[in-house]
Amino acid sequence: MSFLNFDKVVFAYPDRPPVVAGIDWQVPAGELHCLVGRSGCGKTTLLKLAAGLLRPQSGRILLRDGELVAPGPQVGFMFQAPVLLDWHRVIDNVLLPVSLQRRPGAEDMARAQSLLGMLGLSTHAQHHPRQLSGGQQSRVALARALILDPALLLLDEPFAALDAITRADLQDDLLKMCRLRGTTVLFVTHDITEAVYVGDRIAVMHDGRIVDALPIDLPAHRTQALRHEIPFNQYCARVHAAMDRARS
Amino acid sequence: MNQTQLKTSTLATANPQLLAAALFVVLVGLWELLVRQSGISALVLPAPSAVATTLWTQLGNGYFWPHVRATLFTLLLGLTAGSVTGLLMGMALAESALLERVFKPYVVVSQVVPKLALAPLFVLWFGFGATSIVLITALICFFPLMENTLTALKQVDPQRLQLFRMLGATRMQTLLRLKLPTGLPGILAGLRVAVVLALVGAVVGEFIGASKGLGAVIIASQGMMDTSLMFAALVLIAAIGLLLYQATLLLERLLLRPYTNRP
Repeated sequence: MSFLNFDKVVFAYPDRPPVVAGIDWQVPAGELHCLVGRSGCGKTTLLKLAAGLLRPQSGRILLRDGELVAPGPQVGFMFQAPVLLDWHRVIDNVLLPVSLQRRPGAEDMARAQSLLGMLGLSTHAQHHPRQLSGGQQSRVALARALILDPALLLLDEPFAALDAITRADLQDDLLKMCRLRGTTVLFVTHDITEAVYVGDRIAVMHDGRIVDALPIDLPAHRTQALRHEIPFNQYCARVHAAMDRARS
Repeated sequence: MNQTQLKTSTLATANPQLLAAALFVVLVGLWELLVRQSGISALVLPAPSAVATTLWTQLGNGYFWPHVRATLFTLLLGLTAGSVTGLLMGMALAESALLERVFKPYVVVSQVVPKLALAPLFVLWFGFGATSIVLITALICFFPLMENTLTALKQVDPQRLQLFRMLGATRMQTLLRLKLPTGLPGILAGLRVAVVLALVGAVVGEFIGASKGLGAVIIASQGMMDTSLMFAALVLIAAIGLLLYQATLLLERLLLRPYTNRP
């Protein structure tokens, strides 16, 4: 049973050919699907459609069998940059989604502290974002995306600007948090190894269409050592080949 | 290290405030010397010592205080009215493209007309006294606040706007919790300009439309040919301007503390 369902979705910006040209894709509950493709293939637009930030010109997007018409707290989102509010402390940034709905209570505070604790940021709760490193800022953005316990998490190349080691740590953090909560995730990335490492399934996009789909049959509990094993690299090679085929 | 290097390094490490104070003493000393040596009439340029004596005497006998109070009253009232109106107008124009297209040309035209030239008209309409001066001061303070607010609120990072949309924030929440905090440094810069202009507005307004206030004292001292009194009033105006500017800087530092690395 699919949790997020793209049904013949088409979207075009005014006076331009469709960026998303008839996408059919299903994400079952609790799975992490990755969208890979070259720049301009329509990945980010598809993610914005899934978030309700854009409305498809034709087709529809169903979330838990109900049509998605507007953004809301049921969907968590992480941008390419952490997009934190500089004038707020870390804890207030994490609590932002709550404070826009109601006054945060003791339970919300405890939840935010627990999320920060799981991401190794307990001691930074009272700091301002500028006092944190890039990786720590991304962790704060992840905690903020998860504070309302969204059923669906949408990620738009959130770790692209980080160094390789920090990126690997954050991928582990993301997997840990999402597996623990059973969060369904749609992850856009241009990094093939990232997609294979975190994904249960990978969709290859080209010119607004999904041209290939690969299930990733690696152990559910993933460790960095996996990257050096043959099956992991074979999956990377298959995704790479699919992207090359799409271009030719 | 030779003698010249030592001198340069001493100057570089000296407290800049101390250097500014030393420069002030030197300039006043030169002024005193020039007046005493050249024999310039006190009607044209009184010596600083004469100005200080007048200032001390008039402060002591209570002559200046009602005028200082009157200037401060009109200045603060005009500054508050102009700043609040400018801020609200800037917010309204930033939030509504239609309002901006309709009102912006009128606002610009109202600012292109020299406001001080309107003073005689204001005296005619609102009478001789505080009301006219408060209105002139408010009109002068309005523009920097409006312009800075309008510009600041429009420079919000699109990703942050998208984040607020994603989180289901209302328009009011986006304005109060994203746009205004983002624009605060720009808005406060507008307030700093408005404070300086407010003093000019209040004093020049008093030239034309008041019998009380430091501007009125300057006009009266001109009539009495008491140049020392005129200089003493100017010293008070400068002191008020300096104090208000410093107060604005302090307010700015307090409000912008979360934006800086200062503890």
